Amino acid sequence: MAVKVLILEDNPVARAFLSRVVRESFSDVITITEAGDLEAARNLIALAGGSSGMHGADPFKLILVDLELPDGNGMDLLAELTHYPATKIVTTLYSDDDHLFPALQRGADGYLLKEDRFEVLVEELQKIVRGQPPLSPAIARRLLTHFRTGADAEPAAADAGLSSSAFTSSKPVPLVDKPLDHERLTPRESEVLTYLSKGFTIKEIANLMGIKWFTVNDHIKSIYKKLNVSSRAEAAVLASKQGLV
Amino acid sequence: MSSLPTRIPGPQPAGSDAHVDDAAWDRRLRIRSPSARWIGWRLRALVLAALVGCVAMFALLRVVTAWPALDATLSLGTNGTLQVSGPTAPPIDASGLVDREGRAHHIDALLLQRSARWLAGDADRIDLARQHDVLGAALAAGPVRLTDGRGVMREIAVRPRGAAGLGWTFWLLASLALLLYLVTMVVVLTRPEPRNVLYALMAFAQIGNLMFVAVLSTPTPGWPPGLMHWEQILRTLFDLATAAALVHVTNMHPRRLPQGDLRALSGWLLALGLTALLGAGRLGHGWWWTQGLAIGGAVLTIVQLSWIRREPPHPLAHQLARLCGAMIVTLVLLTAMIAALDVRLHAQAAFIGSTVWLIALVAMLLMLPFLSRTQQLMREFSLLAGVSTVATALDLLFVAIFSLGNFASMTLALFIALALYAGARQWLVSQFVSQQRLTTERLFERVYRMAREVQLHPGDVLEQWTALLRDLFDPLDAQPVARVVRQSRVVSEGASLVVPIPPLGSTPVAQDAIVLGFADRGRRLFIEDDARLADRVVDLVTRAVAFDQAVERARSEERVRIAQDLHDDIGARLLTLMYKAPTPEMEDYVRHTLKDLKTLTRGLAAPTHPLSHAVAEWKSDIGQRLAAADCELRWSFTYDRDFELTVVQWSALTRVLRELVSNSLAHARASRVEIDASLQRGALDLTVADNGVGRRPEAWAHGLGLGGVRKRVKQLGGSVVWAENGEHGIVCRVAVPEFVRVGDS
Repeated sequence: MAVKVLILEDNPVARAFLSRVVRESFSDVITITEAGDLEAARNLIALAGGSSGMHGADPFKLILVDLELPDGNGMDLLAELTHYPATKIVTTLYSDDDHLFPALQRGADGYLLKEDRFEVLVEELQKIVRGQPPLSPAIARRLLTHFRTGADAEPAAADAGLSSSAFTSSKPVPLVDKPLDHERLTPRESEVLTYLSKGFTIKEIANLMGIKWFTVNDHIKSIYKKLNVSSRAEAAVLASKQGLV
Repeated sequence: MSSLPTRIPGPQPAGSDAHVDDAAWDRRLRIRSPSARWIGWRLRALVLAALVGCVAMFALLRVVTAWPALDATLSLGTNGTLQVSGPTAPPIDASGLVDREGRAHHIDALLLQRSARWLAGDADRIDLARQHDVLGAALAAGPVRLTDGRGVMREIAVRPRGAAGLGWTFWLLASLALLLYLVTMVVVLTRPEPRNVLYALMAFAQIGNLMFVAVLSTPTPGWPPGLMHWEQILRTLFDLATAAALVHVTNMHPRRLPQGDLRALSGWLLALGLTALLGAGRLGHGWWWTQGLAIGGAVLTIVQLSWIRREPPHPLAHQLARLCGAMIVTLVLLTAMIAALDVRLHAQAAFIGSTVWLIALVAMLLMLPFLSRTQQLMREFSLLAGVSTVATALDLLFVAIFSLGNFASMTLALFIALALYAGARQWLVSQFVSQQRLTTERLFERVYRMAREVQLHPGDVLEQWTALLRDLFDPLDAQPVARVVRQSRVVSEGASLVVPIPPLGSTPVAQDAIVLGFADRGRRLFIEDDARLADRVVDLVTRAVAFDQAVERARSEERVRIAQDLHDDIGARLLTLMYKAPTPEMEDYVRHTLKDLKTLTRGLAAPTHPLSHAVAEWKSDIGQRLAAADCELRWSFTYDRDFELTVVQWSALTRVLRELVSNSLAHARASRVEIDASLQRGALDLTVADNGVGRRPEAWAHGLGLGGVRKRVKQLGGSVVWAENGEHGIVCRVAVPEFVRVGDS
């Protein structure tokens, strides 16, 4: 059975380019579905079994989402698909943490920068699917703040981001921040994040910490998961408060 | 009434450095809490005191108006005789008074001097008292018979003086006395402390003086026998007590002095002893002793005030010493004048002279509690009082020495005094007001600069406020305090000024107010005008900063909008162009352009970047690029401190690094790149070395890439050189000696 991939991207040239990247990245038989806007993407997902990917239908295994779309922000779709069992990847021109961090919080498993070379993109995509998501120093810093300070300091940081460096065609949607107690980082994870925020590569971090590089990678994966879980838990709390669940 | 200040600032513990002590400031501020001061017994006590004063005044009026008085006025006759002019009969040059038993008593022009206190000679004083007693006894007995010594005798009627016979001088002096009494009661009731009690003592002594002069100044003669004797003793006591109290109070205020009690005690003993000796008639040259002691007391006061001033300077001491000095000068002048005068010829003049001096002294006393409030008024008033005293003294001196006529001497004295006033006024005013006060132009410039500084360094708003207020008032010290005040206030009797510090824009201030101590390095008191000026300046700065921030916000919004448009539109097009690029070179070129565009838009949107963050990003980006090209990176970036890079610095360095790394990858096909950078004491040294195939940099054609690097480095004010890197490759050295300029960070 073919692996179903959804590419949500309004620029047809970019869509074609990303399709090539996807095909190049995997040896499996691939069915690529393309969507040019949010509405089309939602319809396609509904056809394939709805936003939770249940009902025994055949869901997408990989979804590439562009953030800036004609009828809205890709972030919204990510928020709707928090429980969708697919690898969700943000493809964007925006490489700053103000745009990427909210996307990661909404369950994105990684991000690709569209201006990167073909080979680089292929490699990055493979890494994400294998569970080696990228983490730029800026995002690492943001994660550190998120997990360290919790609800008190984060809104201030978000404000600062909004006023200073967020140019907002795809407006960063209000953040859902506040780690729960059981979602704190372990000391090792904090250490990894600290090194990442200082610009060290995974290999260098492994050397510095005296551990294997894949251990470092595990830590990163775990951090991603905690971020997701914490925001999902937060969303659930919010939803129950509003009487939605 | 509630705004009336206390006379003298809070008690100072001996030797304490109160002006640098936060707690002391706090205490000073707290005692000025405006509410509740007049609540309760104080107000009632004040009303009661006012009532008592009015009743006493009324009683005195009754007595004075009921006294029998001669139905005539006294004046100086043509030959220095005493001329008595009745309402009906022609004037008579009286030289004798015939009493009921028919005995004649000698009287003369000395009767015109109504104060035995201000007579220099012992014999004159006794004679004056005798003449007054004779007149008083005769008045009590009925019509008075006067003789001119040449056989002419005239009987002059006696009748109660009545309110109309009091004369305007009486009313003037009586109301002045009442006013001083009320002010004194307010001062004492506000803060019943030893120093205020001493002030009250001085004030009451001068009220006593005023009342004696008022009673004796009535145009129609007639006083009870014995009054003049008591006038002399009591007024001597009043004046010496004032001098002693002055010495006493300056021992404990504004600062307590060592061995002050000893000096105060000896002052009091001397004053009382001298008065007692004088009263008993056992002291020759009593008047000289009195004047000497009074002047000595005043001089000692100045010495004590200067002692206080030595460290740390207290503006109140400065002002008090100045006032005291003025009073001493006029007192010495008056003493010399009265001593030089022929009492029988110029008795009236001596009386007027001493009265004018008394009024000047009372005016000073009245002004003391308001030193920090009405400096303007006090300045003019004390100038006028001083000038009129000098004029009177001169007038009398001319009369005495050059034997000028009364009118001529008065005119001359007035002219000289006015000339003195005109000449000295400017100098005196400049002494009161600071010379280094900022001009309006400088003030505006200063406020504008402050607004800019707040934008640049929002962290040290407090320091900037302090600096601005220092420029304004040149105080000895300026302390931030955590105390909420709505508007600037003068506290501690003008020794300090509390200025509230509003938060500027989004910048919170930890402290709410700044307390300035001792204006003009302690040479001046703060006045209400200073408080209003401070308020206006604070308001001005607040508005200037708000305006600047609004402009900055608008600019930043505009920049963000431009960045967004550039990024969204041009970025998307460049991306399409890149995907459709016919050749890999073209693709790389467009990718490069796209990255530059992103750097540009990011720089537009974010005003500053912390160096540490930028370094991390550079390392991460370059590491990824090199890793993708299978090229090894050796990276080292050291800096002595983290700071905010400006957009120019950030984008220039970002692009220089990117360009140099691109060169190493694309042209030199290097397998290892070493980047070594250090930022120490503001100087940046950056080396990018590779092991590629590039050689002979001097022969390179300067394309877009290298030109760009040169341009950026030049923009930063540095230089860049390329050289061969040992056996293989190229090394590029960038040096920016003043990457961080002094004063910015």
